[in-house]
Amino acid sequence: MPSVRVRRAAVSLLALAVLYGIAAEIGRGLLPDRVWMGAHYVENVQLLPTWRSLYEEGEFLLESKILVSSIAVSTRRVSIGLVLGSLAGILLGLLTGGVTRVESLADPWVTFFRFTPALALLPLYVVWFGYGETSKVLLIATSVAVITLLGAHQGVRGVPRVYLDAAASLGAGRWLRFTKVVLPAAFPSIFASVRIAAALAWVTIVVAELIDARMPSLGYLLALAGAYPRVPQMLIGIATVGALVLVFDLTALLLHARATRWMQRTA
Amino acid sequence: MSHLRRSLLWLVSLAVLIATYTLVASRVSRPDVLPPAPDIAEAFGALLSRGVAPPATEGHLHHPGGHVDTLRHQGVTLQASLAVSIARVLFGLAVGLPLGILMGLLMGWSRRADDCLHPIYILVRSVPPLALITYIMLWLGHSEAHRLIPIVYAVAVTAVIPTYHGVRDVAGKYVVAARSLGASGRLLLGRVVLPASGPAVLGGLRYSVAIAWMTAVGAEMLMADNGMGNLLVGGGMWASRLQTRSDPAVIMVGILALAAAGWAMDAAARALTARLTRWAS
Repeated sequence: MPSVRVRRAAVSLLALAVLYGIAAEIGRGLLPDRVWMGAHYVENVQLLPTWRSLYEEGEFLLESKILVSSIAVSTRRVSIGLVLGSLAGILLGLLTGGVTRVESLADPWVTFFRFTPALALLPLYVVWFGYGETSKVLLIATSVAVITLLGAHQGVRGVPRVYLDAAASLGAGRWLRFTKVVLPAAFPSIFASVRIAAALAWVTIVVAELIDARMPSLGYLLALAGAYPRVPQMLIGIATVGALVLVFDLTALLLHARATRWMQRTA
Repeated sequence: MSHLRRSLLWLVSLAVLIATYTLVASRVSRPDVLPPAPDIAEAFGALLSRGVAPPATEGHLHHPGGHVDTLRHQGVTLQASLAVSIARVLFGLAVGLPLGILMGLLMGWSRRADDCLHPIYILVRSVPPLALITYIMLWLGHSEAHRLIPIVYAVAVTAVIPTYHGVRDVAGKYVVAARSLGASGRLLLGRVVLPASGPAVLGGLRYSVAIAWMTAVGAEMLMADNGMGNLLVGGGMWASRLQTRSDPAVIMVGILALAAAGWAMDAAARALTARLTRWAS
């Protein structure tokens, strides 16, 4: 019954919003507005901004076009990185999953580096590719590629032997087996990894955008808000990144549902 | 013989990559971009030994030369940094996993809790943990908290989904069977739900380990005066040292150390999984 679920979701989200509002109103009188920031005190800090000041800050960020242009710039970087990284990762993963010789060649590197946080490459990429766009996009692409490589590899490995044997005994060649059996069967695993990678790409961009930080970018927006500190702007920045992660995830889910329509669904 | 051939290819791959790297590095001959292997080994050795404090006789501010010197003057060593990061990751796992698993159990077990909590969970999950650092810092000051909380948060959020699916999808069948046999309450939870969802929960453990490392290094790069992230960038990025050109040799040593630590932790997680889910196979 979707109507019950929707009602419950609405109620709990509304309850959260109201509770936050009450907490913020109470907190306005109780919480200190003078905060120690590492080296000095900062005055006029709203630790829990009220809905009103969040609204005003949001209005300012929207009217000054800061928010929109930041979203555009950061989304563009994440999207390019996601596409490049997914393509590279999935191709490699299909290769290592499908061709044993390639797997043995790549295996030491994959097992060793799959748990290395891609963020660690940031300083190296700055040295190699400079402070510009390239190092940011490539960093995202790298973190995405590592995850999608594993997803594709496991997807190919998870294809039941029976499917391949059945297809082969019906006379399907290597290419046909790959496109008609392996790819569709590995699809769910690949897509799951792309979903995880998309969320990780947004974690990466928040840090990557502190390299040669320039204004229209969400990472720098957050950093600036933290430097003043300007809590309403900080919270709006966090919420915006959260919303974008959500949008990416929903898009991935939609594509996933479309692409796996052939599968039998259990309720 | 396929095993032998595998190991042979493994070795060949290792040798080829090292040889290619050395060749390219010597061709490019830009040690500030591609440090040759001896430089990396040298940085490794320098980072293992405890550094010397800059001579106190100088009256003016001391400006150390390179990345390695900076680190050594701060008394940073590779093993100490790695130990600090590992401690942070383990803390994040120790606190975050129970939180996430509890939440996943609750959402997987009760339809009502799922309906109410899932939308909130999706909102919370969407926020990148590293974006929270400054906000936590405003509340709790410049302390260990703003490095640990993001890790705990990232681990907890990651652990929810596998547990949730484990309880709902995997254990569901067994629950129906156990219920029809009259099991209920604690018996059902302890004997059916927890063991049945175990493999899914533990499968998620490996993702949690990877995410914990990512968050720990990121948080240390941003704001910490110790740990591997700090070693990689030579001081917090927000401490206006953003423009420091890092020494690639140090970064490569750091990455190799991180890879080794991550690999070891994953091996431990896999061993644990195999141990705890022996009943399933």
